[in-house]
Amino acid sequence: MVKVSGIAHYMNRSMTVLEASELEVIDCPSATSNELPDFTTEAYKDAYSRINAIVIEGEQEAHDNYVAIGTLLPDQAEELKKLARMEIKHMKGFTACGKNLGVVADMPFAKAFYDKLHGNFQEALAEGKLTTCFLIQAILIEAFAISAYHVYIRVADPFAKKITEGVVQDEYLHLNYGQEWLKANLDSCKKELIDANKANLPLIRSMLDQVAKDASTLHMDKEELMEEFMIAYQDSLTEIGLDNREIARMALAAVV
Amino acid sequence: MFGLIGHSTSFQDARRKAMELGYDHIAEGDLDVWCTAPPQLVEHVEVVSPLGKKIEGAYIDSCFVPEMLSRFKTARRKVLNAMELAQKKGINITALGGFTSIIFENFNLLQHKHVRNTTLEWERFTTGNTHTAWVICRQLEINAPLIGLDLSKARVAVVGATGDIGSAVCRWLSQRTGVAELLLVARQQQPLLDLQQELGGGRILGLEKALSEADIVVWVASMPKTLDINSSQIRRPCLMIDGGYPKNLDEKFSGSGVHVLKGGIVEFFEDIGWNMMELAEMENPKRQMFACFAEAMLLEFEDFHTNFSWGRNNITLEKMDFIGQASIKHGFSALSLNSQAQAKVA
Repeated sequence: MVKVSGIAHYMNRSMTVLEASELEVIDCPSATSNELPDFTTEAYKDAYSRINAIVIEGEQEAHDNYVAIGTLLPDQAEELKKLARMEIKHMKGFTACGKNLGVVADMPFAKAFYDKLHGNFQEALAEGKLTTCFLIQAILIEAFAISAYHVYIRVADPFAKKITEGVVQDEYLHLNYGQEWLKANLDSCKKELIDANKANLPLIRSMLDQVAKDASTLHMDKEELMEEFMIAYQDSLTEIGLDNREIARMALAAVV
Repeated sequence: MFGLIGHSTSFQDARRKAMELGYDHIAEGDLDVWCTAPPQLVEHVEVVSPLGKKIEGAYIDSCFVPEMLSRFKTARRKVLNAMELAQKKGINITALGGFTSIIFENFNLLQHKHVRNTTLEWERFTTGNTHTAWVICRQLEINAPLIGLDLSKARVAVVGATGDIGSAVCRWLSQRTGVAELLLVARQQQPLLDLQQELGGGRILGLEKALSEADIVVWVASMPKTLDINSSQIRRPCLMIDGGYPKNLDEKFSGSGVHVLKGGIVEFFEDIGWNMMELAEMENPKRQMFACFAEAMLLEFEDFHTNFSWGRNNITLEKMDFIGQASIKHGFSALSLNSQAQAKVA
């Protein structure tokens, strides 16, 4: 007798003689769409008070950071101010999302959430380290924000969904100024970029860990958040001219 | 430009390959890290047909591994993200290899047209099933006589007969090849009855019975979890065409008189300067590849940028003719018992 082990069941489809018997394919078409959470529960609102605050504070910090970078690049200050104004517009939109749900954003929590990253940015700014400033704001915070927005859009209440879609649209339409600067100056700034990444990428990872529970109450999956972040981060670094191996080495800082 | 979306055959393999390629961050990561890894465009390649036509392509690893099949959200994201990357890179026609098209169909990804700010354009993708079906039929026609089987007297069992490739193979064999009898094996009764009616023939049988009667067995479906086959009941000689994924039938049915051929594999007429087919564990990775991958190349050679193989049971004989002629014209040949034996000796 020949013993043949295969996948759990036929899939009525070719290319599927599978050896590993521990594999189970779940045929689950109804579960392929994300179910929306109940936006009215206390648990949802409680989690939302922190997530909403993080988003509001993130947009405010982005505004402040771009204005601050303008002091290091006086001839670009006007351009950066325009960018900063857009971030304020986004902040107002997200503030409205909280109000719409009757939630008071927990701003002290959000301040503490960004504290380390904020500190590193201020330090770099004081030392005139433009590359580090851009890495923190234009790569890490932007990627963190856009990836979270992508995941959020899939599970947001209708009002917030519309606002967030508008924000994401804005982000894609405007030129990522920092990214362009890093691309133009890559030869001279690569080492600082890599060092700054090593110091700051782990912060993003721990920030994600910190909000994972609240995010999951909002039906935002941590694995999905992390993957979206890695996609945005990789896109950004590809855009400024790093190759796959360099990006892989940089991304390692998020794993260890 | 053509594209291929593939993946490693196991998690362990994927980590090893990632290490070799310098993707340290995921090579050292556990399965959770792989679940968060973005798709990677790992290789660009240039291919020139015997007619001198030059095309360019790219290989995208979705960072999916079969161990993720039980995490349907993860598997779904891996496929959609890889497809988005292919489209963002401007690839005209991309084949969904390995489990990619299976996940696409089984998890009903047609309803997920929007990925971030990208609206997926289905016409940029193909399952490659038409070429796979054609290649399997050619393999049957060419190799059966090599082991002394007369097709006009041969009984052919198609395991997975009602699937996309299986039904196309049945259509071709009943209308073009003239085999003595078709034995139809599949899980569900109603689609089998429908297929039988469409073909105007064929006998519906259980797997074990079919195996004991067949001179040729075409496997294009996965097997039940544990399957005991009394190999002494298999007829000799017997040609088994392993159209499954991964190819593992040869380990199960060794023995004199049982000839196992890797199904749905083609060989290009000269070496291709790529490394990626080593990932797919081809015996001659510079030339051999899955026929579904080759379909994307053929469509690019022919400037026929459309989702040529799409959905289920849409494979017509005319489409098989078209892709088959293109296959021959552009330097592909179906893997045969002879070339398989040569590769083993080499």
